[in-house]
Amino acid sequence: MGIMFTRLFSSVFGNKEARILVLGLDNAGKTTILYRLQMGEVVSTIPTIGFNVETVQYNNIKFQVWDLGGQTSIRPYWRCYFPNTQAIIYVVDSSDTDRLVIAKEEFHAILEEEELKGAAVLIFANKQDLPGALDEAAVTEALELHKIKNRQWAIFKTSAIKGEGLFEGLDWLSNTLKSGGG
Amino acid sequence: MFSLFYGLWKYIFSKTEFHVLILGIDKAGKTTLLEKLKAQYSKLEGLPPDRIVPTVGLNIGRVEVSNTKLVFWDLGGQPGLRSIWEKYYEEAHAVIYVVDAACPSRFEDSKSALEKVLRHEDMQGAPLLILANKQDLADAVSAEELGQYLDLKKLDERVFTFEAVSAYDGTGIKESIDWLVEVMERSKRTEMLRIRAGSMNSGSA
Repeated sequence: MGIMFTRLFSSVFGNKEARILVLGLDNAGKTTILYRLQMGEVVSTIPTIGFNVETVQYNNIKFQVWDLGGQTSIRPYWRCYFPNTQAIIYVVDSSDTDRLVIAKEEFHAILEEEELKGAAVLIFANKQDLPGALDEAAVTEALELHKIKNRQWAIFKTSAIKGEGLFEGLDWLSNTLKSGGG
Repeated sequence: MFSLFYGLWKYIFSKTEFHVLILGIDKAGKTTLLEKLKAQYSKLEGLPPDRIVPTVGLNIGRVEVSNTKLVFWDLGGQPGLRSIWEKYYEEAHAVIYVVDAACPSRFEDSKSALEKVLRHEDMQGAPLLILANKQDLADAVSAEELGQYLDLKKLDERVFTFEAVSAYDGTGIKESIDWLVEVMERSKRTEMLRIRAGSMNSGSA
């Protein structure tokens, strides 16, 4: 996976520094996805407490991960991570139907941020391996993705544990960034 | 006071921006069309057809044609994704409906999906450009033949046309877009959308 990833993205940004934010509620599977992309094996993660930003540097692309939701007092600090963001990968636990409303609200709030206006949005409807996981049409509906009209978006069913769907999503993302879209 | 003048200034001098929906069933060639439009009308290269994957969301293309700004919204056409189309109707100035003219076995599916679009009240009066796509393929039917197959009724009030195109090699694209820009500029729907946008702006000011 790591090699394919390099091949995909090396031509997108050239030598330019780029940032991709990986966001979502706690326990959505964000860190698992990153580990999966980087080394192809799942590493168990501890839930993030406070404002803990995980960074993975991949060539010239910086992936930064934190949890949305919860403490509002630390939110102003998020903005430090917004400049030069080319894309947002929003990860949703498709089986956690109780919290989809919160996932939706947090998602649209982040999209309002001025400095993220040009960023393309890739949604991972994650945890498809769990029973009762909603499919991409249902997650699209729940997140009200149709309200996005000024930037490109795409949604993919994924299972970070099994490594399914991640590559298809990143393929879309690299194409989109290459064709100049955000 | 400033915002009032600013609004007036913007109203008079800003270029109109038209929103054009690109719809059609899966594999019709909507995204290939979008990329071709980007390549022809903007500085962007556009993705080559072999790099295009099925759309599961929204692709956007912003181009400028003879001083008019066009924003294309290309939505995925797989059956499960078509429910999202209508969420974009209200703000669309016109619709491009793409049909794979070389695949008669799917004309019926194409026809019923189009009829559903046209029945929707949010689509009232929106100019309609139907593209008989994939003319680069030998067995593609002509625009006239496609018109007969689709046999559309209740189009009376709507401005529409059929064009034979190839999103792959670019045949017919320019003529189609020229037609679209011209009808959008004088359509009642454009006027209606402009008034609505204007009243929304003054409401929030």
